[in-house]
Amino acid sequence: MIETYHFQDTDFQQESSRELTLLSIISQSYFQPFSLEDNILLILTALTSGSGVGFNRVMYFRRDGNRLRGEVWLGPRSPEEARSVWEVLSTPGIGYVEIVEHNRALLSVNEDSLTRRIRKLTFPASGDPCPLPGAAACHREIVLVKDAAHEPQVDARFLEMIGVDEFLCLPLLARDEVLGVFVLDNAFTHNPIQTRDVKLAAICGLLAANYIHTTNLYRRLVETEKMAAMGEVAMFITHQIRNPLVTIGGFTDQLLEEGCDQDKQRRNLRIIRNEVRRLEDIVYNVGHFLKVSLKEPVYSDVRTALEAAVRIGEAEARARGITFQVKMEKDPPLVFCDPATLGEVARNLIDNALEATPAGGKVTLHAHRGRDSRSFMLSVHDTGQGISEAHKEKLFQPFFTTKEQGMGLGLSFIKRVMDTCGGQVEVRSREAQGAHFLLSFPSREERSPS
Amino acid sequence: MKRILLVEDEKPLALLYEEELREEGYDVTVVHDSETALAKLKAQEFDLLVTDIRMPGRNGIDLITQVMGLRKTIPIIINSAYQSYKDDFMTWAADAYVVKSSSLTELKAKIKELLERER
Repeated sequence: MIETYHFQDTDFQQESSRELTLLSIISQSYFQPFSLEDNILLILTALTSGSGVGFNRVMYFRRDGNRLRGEVWLGPRSPEEARSVWEVLSTPGIGYVEIVEHNRALLSVNEDSLTRRIRKLTFPASGDPCPLPGAAACHREIVLVKDAAHEPQVDARFLEMIGVDEFLCLPLLARDEVLGVFVLDNAFTHNPIQTRDVKLAAICGLLAANYIHTTNLYRRLVETEKMAAMGEVAMFITHQIRNPLVTIGGFTDQLLEEGCDQDKQRRNLRIIRNEVRRLEDIVYNVGHFLKVSLKEPVYSDVRTALEAAVRIGEAEARARGITFQVKMEKDPPLVFCDPATLGEVARNLIDNALEATPAGGKVTLHAHRGRDSRSFMLSVHDTGQGISEAHKEKLFQPFFTTKEQGMGLGLSFIKRVMDTCGGQVEVRSREAQGAHFLLSFPSREERSPS
Repeated sequence: MKRILLVEDEKPLALLYEEELREEGYDVTVVHDSETALAKLKAQEFDLLVTDIRMPGRNGIDLITQVMGLRKTIPIIINSAYQSYKDDFMTWAADAYVVKSSSLTELKAKIKELLERER
């Protein structure tokens, strides 16, 4: 006999154990591209939903330097609200997306009550004395408070706000670092907090701390990469600008010298004018290709979008003695890319191909439906020198160029455009056999967007 | 007359250096890439080498490494638009590092200093 099971089964029955339900909900978050906030919200949900650990409310305090800062307070505001919330959350088969959506809505409602109240709160996370809930962070231990009103270690302001006698303080620990504190209570059911609840909550605390820790690491990494990329950009621009400046300055000095004859004067002025134009080009290119945001993609008519690029390409090819062949599908679908941007992409590819091809060579532009009918291919093929394996890897990096006068921004621009519209770019080339650039855009058949 | 080999890929800039150094009384040979520079160094004797770093093909640091391989004791000046290459280990092999400037005073002074030292 064979039994089959689904991975990630979310449809847990009432009789399945709370641990399994809890882990099932949380584990789904690992496969979702949601933000840290969403993942924390999910864990808070797991702590408070009836099918999870089942606490009534949870506060999340974030570690901010030496203090704990109130971030979120999730839970119903009244017994009535509690009943309706639990009803929704105990619906069989409810999944990660629904839970997060529901709680996001709940939080936006609570924005003016629970969460707003704790956002004003901060507690020291270290030092002596360190009242609760900060003490959980100071001593890195889980603290269950009973009969809170008679417990001198509890901060008075905090006690007044939480308004319950029994609550659990759970430090969020990752790699020996305290990243926050959860405070849990049963304000509406008044159920006493059991050892098993504490253990389950501790699992959630570990997961949350891990999320925060990895997100912090990731953010630091992104920041470092950004700084490194900016350094590269600054260095390249320095070089690009310094050379023409030195040329202009040097030839101007010659002009100012006594006895500079008229021929030399004219020659120097010509050089200076050319270098000034080059500087203008540099400024234009840097501003144009490094634009922070690209236009939003829309479904566009590919024939109109490519028209100008093709016309300019034809004229340029004629002047260089290169055959330029265009193979365009008669009735193409709508292509998902801003039309002006698509035109620029095509111009860049055609320009590159023409520059790489010697006189007598051939450049082919091919625009046709992809194999899966949901994509549209734009490809440009040349008969130039081709691209070496070593260069292929760096081809799409900004400022990588093999041309004497190039800025190395065209292909990095194309890559950004393709990323923005959800397409792909591929280069096929062997040295001495020409280069073949293949762009695949999302597309659709309908002629009208409505 | 002292012979200087100057490597600079930017043609207008190379022309400026060539004219200015001739004015100073040097015999200047200008090339625009490392490969040609190396061929010249193998074929002829020079008293000094001035090279840019960032150039298409082999860069100036590659060139310096190759020159060291030729076992020639020729003084080398790096003339670059980048300040940052000063930290590159191989630039230590050069005798001087000059950051490109429209005033050629520093470059001229370094050339004079190194050629006098060699005498």
